[in-house]
Amino acid sequence: MENSIVKLRGYKDGLHLIITPKVDLVEVETAVKELLERMNQPLSGTSIHIDLTTSPLTSDDMKELETYLTENYDLVVSGVNILDENDESPILAAPATHSIAPNLQADDQPDFGQAKIVRQTIRSGQTTSCLTGSVLIYGDVNPGGEVVASGDIIVLGALRGNAHAGAHGKLSSVIIAMELVPLQLQIGTYVNRPPLGQKSRGYPEIARVGAEDVIIVEEFIKFN
Amino acid sequence: MGKVIVITSGKGGVGKTTSTANLGTALAMISKKVVIIDADVGLRNLDVVMGLESRVVYTSMDVIEKRCELEKALVKDRRVEDLFLLAASQRNRKDDIKPEQMLDICERLKEIYDFVLVDSPAGIEQGFHNAAAGAEEAIIITTPDVSAIRDADRIIGLLQNQNIEPINLILNRLSPTLVKKGNMISKNDVLDILNIDLLGIVPEDPGVIASTNRGVPLVHNDGSPGADAYMRIARRMTGQRIPIPEMRDDNFFSNILKWFSRNK
Repeated sequence: MENSIVKLRGYKDGLHLIITPKVDLVEVETAVKELLERMNQPLSGTSIHIDLTTSPLTSDDMKELETYLTENYDLVVSGVNILDENDESPILAAPATHSIAPNLQADDQPDFGQAKIVRQTIRSGQTTSCLTGSVLIYGDVNPGGEVVASGDIIVLGALRGNAHAGAHGKLSSVIIAMELVPLQLQIGTYVNRPPLGQKSRGYPEIARVGAEDVIIVEEFIKFN
Repeated sequence: MGKVIVITSGKGGVGKTTSTANLGTALAMISKKVVIIDADVGLRNLDVVMGLESRVVYTSMDVIEKRCELEKALVKDRRVEDLFLLAASQRNRKDDIKPEQMLDICERLKEIYDFVLVDSPAGIEQGFHNAAAGAEEAIIITTPDVSAIRDADRIIGLLQNQNIEPINLILNRLSPTLVKKGNMISKNDVLDILNIDLLGIVPEDPGVIASTNRGVPLVHNDGSPGADAYMRIARRMTGQRIPIPEMRDDNFFSNILKWFSRNK
């Protein structure tokens, strides 16, 4: 998700806020505000990593941006990347413990690199994840169970737990289930949940990120 | 060579101890040699439910610490032949016992007895792992409510990881009246989620509380719906093919009352 000034990308270690061109703090804040409001999702408590490798913001600016994100959106700044040639060292209170984000665009991540096939029901407390591609499950995913994939998630059964497709940020990832009645769905950085008390509709469904930047669910007839 | 079966649920208060006491008694009543083991160290109550509290001299802890022989620690039931209880120590904690020690006790008991039923404590910690250590099969007890079902699902996952198979289900405290009104999760909904074989359904029976308090397992109380259900389950455990009766939609008594009021 992005506009001309900032980009928001989901990586394995969380959200990365990438500030691209050479602009001043006010413009960055306006852009962040616009972006987060367009997302229209509760981000409270989410940890975020600020990537300043291509931005000339000063350490004071950084501090102010951190305060801005914390106070207005309740985000937790988990670290900062800055350019080495920048003389300013990171002054943020939060330790920059995370590794530097890969310079790879999220959409370049391999999706079908290595699929994982699971021949059992994922029960409460169990997690299955594949960070190299898609997951295919011959069974159900029960409430309290969790599936994470950097690619697609296909459940040949009922998906009643949590599923996170495109975990590295690949927003074209989809979630398909014979019965799609999840607690929560996540594709890239987008989270959605069905209305309370949603019952199975009795036909396969597919969830994907729609044009409005929200996860939409529709009957699965044919993949295209 | 007998079978070691752990009776567990994850959630507390769904009827593990009651079911262990009743299934143990029912199996012994159909001439099986049975030991029931209380694995709830520190919070024992299987002896209370069986009405054997005053006869417990030695516990599994005494056997493990070699203060007495295994045979000597077994408490004989007051009413049924060939039914024995191995009580848990009340002074110790759940992590005072190791899974290998439990396994050893179970291995020795199954040489002699047809059924070794282990009453597991609630939870998924050490106590549960000890209870499951010697088991080759499991019976999951759940009531038809979401939290019990969620916990049962979690427990099934843990048991499958330990290659315990088969895992069968007893659906406890099902009230047909409430299911009909749509206020209770139905049998099919439970089976849909848990996806294991149903061993039996025990209907809600107010007689359970009275029998627990008297220390006489319900199965002695011939003709009560709960007792009949446990007897059928015990027979299924011995390999008999007894169909699970569909529950009457309506309460028998309310039907009679309706009939009377119609004839007024």
